[in-house]
Amino acid sequence: MFASKYKTERTLIVFSIVSAIALILVIAPVANTLLSHSPQDLANTSIQPEVYNAIFLSLYAALFTSFAALVLGVPLAYILARKQFAGKSIVESLVDLPLVVPHTVAGIAVLLVWGRTGIFGAPINDIFGVQFYGTVAGIIVAMLFVSFPFMVNSAREGFEGISPDIEQAARTLGASPFEVFRRISLPLAFRGIMVGALLVWARAISEFGAVYIIAYYPMTAPILIADQYLQFGLKASSAIAALLLIITLIVFVLLRFVILKRKVEE
Amino acid sequence: MTSVEVQNAYLKLGQFNLQDINLKVKSEEFFVILGPSGAGKTVLLDLIAGFSYPDTGKILVDDEDVTFLPIEKRRVGYMFQDFALFPNMSVLKNIKFGTRYYKIPNVENRIGELMELLDIVQLRNRHPTTLSGGEKQRVALARSLILEPKILLLDEPLSSLDARTKEALRDEIKEIIEKVGITTLYVTHDQVEAIVLADRIGIMHDGRLLQVGSSDQVFDKPQDELIARFVGMENIFKGIVKANCDGLISVDVGNAIIEAVSDIAVGNKVTLGIRPENITLQVGETISSARNIFSGKVKQIIPLGPINKVKIDCGFMLNALITKRSSEFLLLSKDREIKVLFKASNVYVIADDDRLFGDI
Repeated sequence: MFASKYKTERTLIVFSIVSAIALILVIAPVANTLLSHSPQDLANTSIQPEVYNAIFLSLYAALFTSFAALVLGVPLAYILARKQFAGKSIVESLVDLPLVVPHTVAGIAVLLVWGRTGIFGAPINDIFGVQFYGTVAGIIVAMLFVSFPFMVNSAREGFEGISPDIEQAARTLGASPFEVFRRISLPLAFRGIMVGALLVWARAISEFGAVYIIAYYPMTAPILIADQYLQFGLKASSAIAALLLIITLIVFVLLRFVILKRKVEE
Repeated sequence: MTSVEVQNAYLKLGQFNLQDINLKVKSEEFFVILGPSGAGKTVLLDLIAGFSYPDTGKILVDDEDVTFLPIEKRRVGYMFQDFALFPNMSVLKNIKFGTRYYKIPNVENRIGELMELLDIVQLRNRHPTTLSGGEKQRVALARSLILEPKILLLDEPLSSLDARTKEALRDEIKEIIEKVGITTLYVTHDQVEAIVLADRIGIMHDGRLLQVGSSDQVFDKPQDELIARFVGMENIFKGIVKANCDGLISVDVGNAIIEAVSDIAVGNKVTLGIRPENITLQVGETISSARNIFSGKVKQIIPLGPINKVKIDCGFMLNALITKRSSEFLLLSKDREIKVLFKASNVYVIADDDRLFGDI
């Protein structure tokens, strides 16, 4: 009996072992980084101005990136979820393009259009006096470029999960297309949209390659970590890495808990 | 007091074509669009609701052209197959949803009355996900009716329910709509639903509205073989009129001569339809006034609850429906010799006009 039960459960057992290995591969480096520093160590590191400035910059630049991705990504996600049009597959590929571009290449591409002589950078500089090379604005556009697909794809899944009948029912009850979006589609896709925004935030914080090209200074945390590693070695950089890890984990878990547990109700 | 008219409507949707739809539904009429899956019933309903627009043709509501009027300006109630309740709102908020856009005098009282009429007062704070199919349907009906729509469109609202609930709700829908008094278009593939609910029925197939009439007209006098098959005339034969004697024609159907009441002249091609429930079976000596009596052998008995479908080989195949009790009384079994009887007046005759016939 045990043998037959073992046979039927065999696939599950093998899968569980493989899953455990995969999880260990993820957890081990993270746990090791966290545990290799005493709280005193971390406290000392955190009071260094360059460290807390870099971590703070990473957090708020990523937050701005999330807002920008929300504003720009949700309408596109809605159109992709709801409409059929010529060239749709091209648009879908374009949305996913940043996922396949090496991030240094992404940085160079972003710099070419947002730099002082770029097609976006030049007029914005002329009209508003805003520059992107070596500025927070540059960091945000680089972060947005690499993380945008997460917003669109996640929100799109959220919208696709809503039956078109529900939206049409709302129209027959007198709601305009915008009212339907506001009162029905947006609340029902809320979870997908927020997951997208969270993924954008997480991806933006972790971005190195693209940000490195467009704005080495002011330093975001990943650039500071690389900088410290090259100058002072593993020990100096790993303390900042552990600190960034702890802060992002706490914020990520809190946001996930607050946003995704919220009951979506009008 | 609202009438709906569809004039010469055409719509191409990929491989599917809605063709030459002409239909007028009178004020407060309960009109059922009956047809098999893929006939275009929902497409027609969607044109009236404004979910899509015809390539050519017009939709008129009270003689006003609404063909390209946005959905939210049409004041049309629509009941979807899955009821399409808003899962992010309670029952009460679902019902109130449209009152923000349409001004309903004394709205709170109206909602209360409607919820009482539909017996959903106790559901007011529940969420759609916790409701049964029947409850969802009543809430969806309330959500539409509170806005006093000009027209109510129902797209197979009973198709996802079990047989017992279906029957109860079908009667309920009829009663409520009669009470409210609203022009209604109801789409179904279920003939019983159509007969029970309809003031008039329109038969649709392959994007065309083939026949419109009362249930008696459609079910007893189908205009062609296609409709005849769809409305349950299982015994259909093609033949040529060999004799006509004072309105009693003899039709050669190949292996037999069938007599029917008609004034079609000798030599014409006709299609004959006989409902399986109009066929009588007997054993032994037969005394009957029926004009058509054939000997045959039972080939198959298919139990359908209290009724059996009996397939009989009389040189040509006939399907008969008889009660289980009659089957037992006649000791029916495979290969039993029996007599098959049906009246000439129960044979429906369609003059062939060389239409292309297809299976439904």
